[in-house]
Amino acid sequence: MNDEILIAILALLGAIGYVLLLFGAKEPRHKYGNLFLALYGVCLIIVVVAGLFVQWHIVFSWQDLTSFYAIYGFSACVFLIYFAKGLRLWLPKEEDYYETRGVKNK
Amino acid sequence: MIEWVHPGLIFIIGALLVPVFRGNLKKVYLIIPPVLALIDVVLMYMGSFGSIPASRWQLPFLGYELIFGRMDKLSLLFGLIYTLVSILLVLYALNVKSNGELMSQFFYVGSALGAIFAGDLITLYIFWEFMAIASLLVILHGGTDKALGAGFRYIMWHVAGGLILLAGIVLYIESTGSIAFNAFSWGTTSLYLPTLLIFIGFIINAAVPPLHAWLPDSYPESTYAGTVYLSIFTTKTAVYVLARGFAGFGPLMWLGVIMTVYPIFYAVLENDLRKVLSYSLINQVGFMLCGIGIGTTLAVNGAVSHAFAQILFEGLLFMAIGSVVYRTGTAKCTDLGGLYKSMPLTCIFCIVGAASISAFPFFTGFVTKSMIIDAALGQTGGALMYVLLLLASAGVFHHAGVKVPFFAFFAEDRGINARDPPLNMLLGMGITASLCILIGVYPHPLYQILPYPVDFVPYNVPHVVAQLQLLLFASFAFFVLITSGIYPPEQRKINLDTDWPLRVMGAKFMWFLHEPLTNLAKGLDHALKSLASLFAGYGGEKEERILIGVSVGIALLFLAFYLFMQMAYTWIFH
Repeated sequence: MNDEILIAILALLGAIGYVLLLFGAKEPRHKYGNLFLALYGVCLIIVVVAGLFVQWHIVFSWQDLTSFYAIYGFSACVFLIYFAKGLRLWLPKEEDYYETRGVKNK
Repeated sequence: MIEWVHPGLIFIIGALLVPVFRGNLKKVYLIIPPVLALIDVVLMYMGSFGSIPASRWQLPFLGYELIFGRMDKLSLLFGLIYTLVSILLVLYALNVKSNGELMSQFFYVGSALGAIFAGDLITLYIFWEFMAIASLLVILHGGTDKALGAGFRYIMWHVAGGLILLAGIVLYIESTGSIAFNAFSWGTTSLYLPTLLIFIGFIINAAVPPLHAWLPDSYPESTYAGTVYLSIFTTKTAVYVLARGFAGFGPLMWLGVIMTVYPIFYAVLENDLRKVLSYSLINQVGFMLCGIGIGTTLAVNGAVSHAFAQILFEGLLFMAIGSVVYRTGTAKCTDLGGLYKSMPLTCIFCIVGAASISAFPFFTGFVTKSMIIDAALGQTGGALMYVLLLLASAGVFHHAGVKVPFFAFFAEDRGINARDPPLNMLLGMGITASLCILIGVYPHPLYQILPYPVDFVPYNVPHVVAQLQLLLFASFAFFVLITSGIYPPEQRKINLDTDWPLRVMGAKFMWFLHEPLTNLAKGLDHALKSLASLFAGYGGEKEERILIGVSVGIALLFLAFYLFMQMAYTWIFH
């Protein structure tokens, strides 16, 4: 029973943190933008602290690393953005790229 | 006992009757076929139609028995979600004026249902092609030059895929003598080629990279409502046939993993939010194919339940962005922003969809996707697969969870004048959003209708904490990068994808036709005309020459008819 309440609290916390980020990061800054971001920070801290007390189901040893999922989530996204920035050097073309390859332009 | 009616037929007859109704009466009428079809499927669940498959729906064809109504847990699950979501889609699309568009949408749903309940390969193929044509019509109703071009490329992909599938089916029937559509075995060498061809035909519809480029190319070009329809039926029907035919096929597992990772980079770069969602659609189907490839009962359950959930949340996201298109006429990041004040309800629905696709606890994605990821852990190469699937989860959260709502509703306010869409569209989105949360909080009804018994508990503390750490810190990375200016700014550009060589070669080919070949033809024509003028005396008056032409034409027609009859005669009697 205790677990269920804990899960419900954590799940709500996650959803609230997510919405706080969307409102906190918006441009131009919301009147209470900094407050939103501070609360969002609190959510981040709570999930990390909760992770310290959890008995993980371990299949691989690295899953036991302190805050593995937080570190992985953060670095995965940073990697994603940098990799995409690299791709941007040669993937993007003008919006009429294909139209100008054809008959009209020889 | 009541006689069973094929739910697909309800849609097809429903489509034919659309032009009969006008005005508000039409709006009332449009709701009827999907509701009847849903009732039909629910009655099928309750076993009201007796033995399976209903024998009324078998047809003799070339010495085989075609089965139109196969009812088992797998087909019924897809039938249920297709008919359920079609009610929501029709509600959302009530404001569509064009009868043609409404009809093609109904044909599309009807043929998808036909493919789902097909019990043999020939019936499957017939509906498979029907679906390709109906979906082409949905794309073409976009009505722009871009939609026309994308539609042509789309149908070329699908005709190619359909022909490969047909070749596979013909060879398969040739080798086995049976048209039954069940799990394929790779056992004997004589079956290897047909099975491979069928597999390729299937994965083209599932949009597996590098055969996926038709999807982000064509789907965003349809109308605001058409895109929502497209996002659901073609790919999920492919998931269904793969689940039936290729569960436990090892390579599919890794194709699925690649499919989850590949599109996330494109989704970061893409400026058009409907293209971003198209890439997220490929990513989500990747999770399903991975589960099907793993093939354990947990994984297949995960895959089909994820298909069920994804139809709802991906549909919801496309509906929300469709509403933005409906009101503002664009889905480009560079033109949007700050809409949360003017379209608050759409914004809330979009966030629910975004939270569901990102698999936040208490939203649908969480209770279905985690089955697949858990199943991946037990496989050989499970560590690599697990890490890549987590990367893809963080990636999908980044683009569908943060980028889509952020750039549409929160980023720099561009002072766009908009308001929430009409009531029926809000209702369509609202009901879908409620279902997303309902299934997320209380997944047991969904678990009960899965093909295999479920003993999976999605909600335990470590699971929830792990997921929240992953998601919230991925969002933290987004925040850090966007405030520090490292995040790549949106550009008015398109991004080259795997169809680049085809499209450039196609353009070169067209140039070849228009320039060198046309010039050659003109030259030949000229030469022939000068030759003919030497004999100009023959044939006399102009009318006389036309008469000669007509009589030669008629003679040729008779000859062709004779040859055809001759062939038909030999074919039938020998």
